[in-house]
Amino acid sequence: MKYTYDDEADVRTTALIRVMALFFVGIMIIAATTSPISTGTKEGERAPSLEGKFYNGSAWTDFNLESYWDSEWEEGDMNGQWVVVEFMDTDCPYCVASAEDMGVNANDFGGSNPQWDGAIVNFIASVAELNIDGHDSSRAEMVAFRNKIADSGETCAKSDCGSRPGAAHNFPYIDDLDLENMKKWKVSGTPSYYLIQPDGIIAWSSAEHRDEELRDAIIVLVPRESA
Amino acid sequence: MDPNFQLMFYLIPTIVGFLLILPFGRSLVDPFTEKFPSLGNERGRVFFGLILTCLAGVAVSFQTLWISSKISEGGNFCASNSILSCDDVIGNSNYNTDPIFGIPWGGIGAVVFCILLYLVYSSSKEPNANWVFSYLKLGTYITFAGFFVIALLIYYEIQMGIEIGKPIIICQYCTTAHFANIAAFIGFLRLMRMNDSIWWNKTSK
Repeated sequence: MKYTYDDEADVRTTALIRVMALFFVGIMIIAATTSPISTGTKEGERAPSLEGKFYNGSAWTDFNLESYWDSEWEEGDMNGQWVVVEFMDTDCPYCVASAEDMGVNANDFGGSNPQWDGAIVNFIASVAELNIDGHDSSRAEMVAFRNKIADSGETCAKSDCGSRPGAAHNFPYIDDLDLENMKKWKVSGTPSYYLIQPDGIIAWSSAEHRDEELRDAIIVLVPRESA
Repeated sequence: MDPNFQLMFYLIPTIVGFLLILPFGRSLVDPFTEKFPSLGNERGRVFFGLILTCLAGVAVSFQTLWISSKISEGGNFCASNSILSCDDVIGNSNYNTDPIFGIPWGGIGAVVFCILLYLVYSSSKEPNANWVFSYLKLGTYITFAGFFVIALLIYYEIQMGIEIGKPIIICQYCTTAHFANIAAFIGFLRLMRMNDSIWWNKTSK
């Protein structure tokens, strides 16, 4: 075999090939041994953090959505607790109109309804103050909306907060008046709903199912003994 | 395997590489110079130390990326209640990706250390080529830019610590990569200065 000395040969090409091979071996090892799930608010993504002070009916305390997650949960497991997060504004007419449905859903799927034989679904409302004229909110207004306090002096969508449809809510209301959580979740409008699996993965989002009701999504996606 | 013990696979090569880069590194390699003649002079020693450091940097960055992927699956790797808890740092979705493109910091580290490895490896193979000085200069600039990223990540660690009532939370794997960057900066700087001097082709110690 005849060998020819190549004046144009450059050690940089060999070095580049070797280093790139090393890089791709590293990438392949990671790809073969992990199944990463990105954090985001689309279905199939891991829900971002949701933090702040929440009102549970008696006081404002620290809230952290991650405390609900169970990394050991597997699909079909009845023991895990699902979470519905609603992004709303107490001055948004659509949020006021849907308050009754939220209350009914929370009662029906929250574990106190003997007719519901599915996994428990926890309801959480993250209350924002949208940058729209007339949308001036406060913690007092949130409490008046949640507890449906009549004649409190607080106005929700130009009406007395106590006159909103439905009964008083018994689920936590998170103070997101600074819109921090809403921006983090990239919520485009209120009300927006997310149904989240016990392992923290978003199973359903109202933004991706404009024609489907939250209630129908819960019935379809949350495991039930009778199903 | 204990994650802190596993960290030694990356930390020890980084420290050895760093010691070889430093001027007094010659005492470390004296016993090996007969078998590896390139270690017998300053240039060969710094090149070897820098390649070792960059390799350790690539490896620890990939490990960090792997941890980040594992945590995203819902698992854990090095969760701890002490201030050394890489899970808390790498798993924090508010800080674990770069703020512009959203790429995990481990991925950025792996790419950067591969570029540094390419620069130093190709320079070591043909040290008298006319492009070597520009490669060493580029390596110095990249590692210097890394200081700003390190400062940002330390700021994040302090922020995360404050959020949970601690002075700081340290990701030991990330810190090893930061240390590798500092060592690589010193190595590139030394080689760049040496390349510009009569010492570049001296075969003595």
